[in-house]
Amino acid sequence: MAQQTKKSKSRLWFLVHSWLALPIWFFVLIVCFTGMLAVVSQEIIWLANPDVRATKPSDDAERLSFQQVLDALRKAEPDMAVRSLSQPDGSHFALTAGVTLADGTAPTLYVNPYTGAIQGKSPDFNFEAFTRALHGWWLVPFTNGYSWGWYLVSILGLPMLASLVTGLVVYKKFWRGFFKPLRLGHGPRIFWGDVHRLAGVWSIWFIAVISITGTWFLIQAILGDNHITISSEPVVPVIARQEVPLSQDGSPAPRIDLDEAARIATTSIPGLDISFIQLPLTAYSHIEMGGRGWYPLMFQTASVNPYTRKVDSQFLLGDRSTLEFVTESMRPLHTGDFGGLAIKLIWAFFGLILTLMVFSGLLIWTKRTAQATAAALKRSERQPRQRLARGEPITEVQS
Amino acid sequence: MSQAQALPTSPLKQFWLKWRFHLNILLILIPLGFMPKYFADAKLFRGEGGLGANVVSDIKVGQWSLDLAELRDEAPRADGPAGHFKLFNAALCKTCTEGAKAIYLRIGKPRSLRAAGTIFFGAPYRMITSLPIPPRTKPDADLWITIEGWDGSMHQASIPLAQASPSTVAWLKKQGGTK
Repeated sequence: MAQQTKKSKSRLWFLVHSWLALPIWFFVLIVCFTGMLAVVSQEIIWLANPDVRATKPSDDAERLSFQQVLDALRKAEPDMAVRSLSQPDGSHFALTAGVTLADGTAPTLYVNPYTGAIQGKSPDFNFEAFTRALHGWWLVPFTNGYSWGWYLVSILGLPMLASLVTGLVVYKKFWRGFFKPLRLGHGPRIFWGDVHRLAGVWSIWFIAVISITGTWFLIQAILGDNHITISSEPVVPVIARQEVPLSQDGSPAPRIDLDEAARIATTSIPGLDISFIQLPLTAYSHIEMGGRGWYPLMFQTASVNPYTRKVDSQFLLGDRSTLEFVTESMRPLHTGDFGGLAIKLIWAFFGLILTLMVFSGLLIWTKRTAQATAAALKRSERQPRQRLARGEPITEVQS
Repeated sequence: MSQAQALPTSPLKQFWLKWRFHLNILLILIPLGFMPKYFADAKLFRGEGGLGANVVSDIKVGQWSLDLAELRDEAPRADGPAGHFKLFNAALCKTCTEGAKAIYLRIGKPRSLRAAGTIFFGAPYRMITSLPIPPRTKPDADLWITIEGWDGSMHQASIPLAQASPSTVAWLKKQGGTK
């Protein structure tokens, strides 16, 4: 009897597992697939568009400093206003410059980090932003707080976590499955079942990471929409009026250049790596800069006052609470964007495997669960309660 | 799980069994439906759709001349306890970007430079500010633009809110009705 209860319990788990991604499997499939694309979207653009590559003019060429790049841009386009300069993760990428042109358009320019030459302008179709928007919020616009598309996608973290747990429960001795060969020649049902199980055991860690971080995005939206913040990041106050010098002739007050600002920041904050720099947005704004810390999942930032030469505000790893270490790590863990190309490729590979899991799961489902459930329904129509009470099989073809 | 016990007799159950896979189609239709809006927004943020809606051109403020537009032709958006906000874009004329230290926007005439309103961010060719709109603002209020010169001088001009953002005025009238 106890044996039978155990058996029927595992069948119950099995049915739960089988039904989790349904009937929204196509949605889940696209979310997995676009997520995989989003991880390597920058690299795909790099392959497709030579403008975004950092080509060295000669072997001994050295990278320009931020101010040298800014000077080169101003020389090339005197009317253009540069808002920010940023080095994407990986020295094979060109610098990106956020600029505003005199006609009011605000494109991103790709700039050679060795020569300062403008290599190109971001195309109108931004593949990186598009895949991220599709994966992240299903393109539903943000009008009041988080978009409902964000909720729609992030809530998938829960069934995904449940599939992992129920999958491990129904897969007896799954730890022995890492090197089980795929059985070919026994028909597609057996084959896809083997693929599903093999991909599943190798992906345990990845599914756990993606579903937990995905669920965090749901929590983040709930917190955000309820105006609850756990951030200890300081709000940088604007520069006080008396710190901005007046000029009699109406010319702008002199500000320190970007290299000087970077020097001040790195002197005052040892270990500050600067991969992006934002020019002051107003006459009362700071030069903002930052980069990854020793813990590559989080960024450190500093605000330098361009008039007084002081670091007015900073947000370093040491300023984070323990909770923030956890919550701020969630996004890079989800996107695989914290350890260069190698990590991204691992994430993309397992993202593809996950897509395959959804697909193979569906194939198995159509071939088995649908029939099994139909059979169960038929039988339960005949003898609804007694069989179940006796703990007899609900379905026929199950393993 | 109760699949095995539930009988497919109730019309609701039958409806579910028949239509559950069409949920997929509905879910796929969502991004397809929002795609035009997504690309229109991307264009808007690249500044290629012009300055915005209801552009008021050539507003003379001291020695400068400025264009003002609302980012979107819509009512103010709520931002939790902070209240309602409206995004406005501004551009200084191409030949007169010199000498302007800061540009501010405010509903009603500012008494001093310190209370000049919200500051415009960004390059003089395209600046943006998020203007708080108190729900009790009178629909016939004026929008005041203040330019602060690097020499400390202050220059002002105003336009009717109704001209700059008709949808804000419509929203204010509605607020007045409920309060």
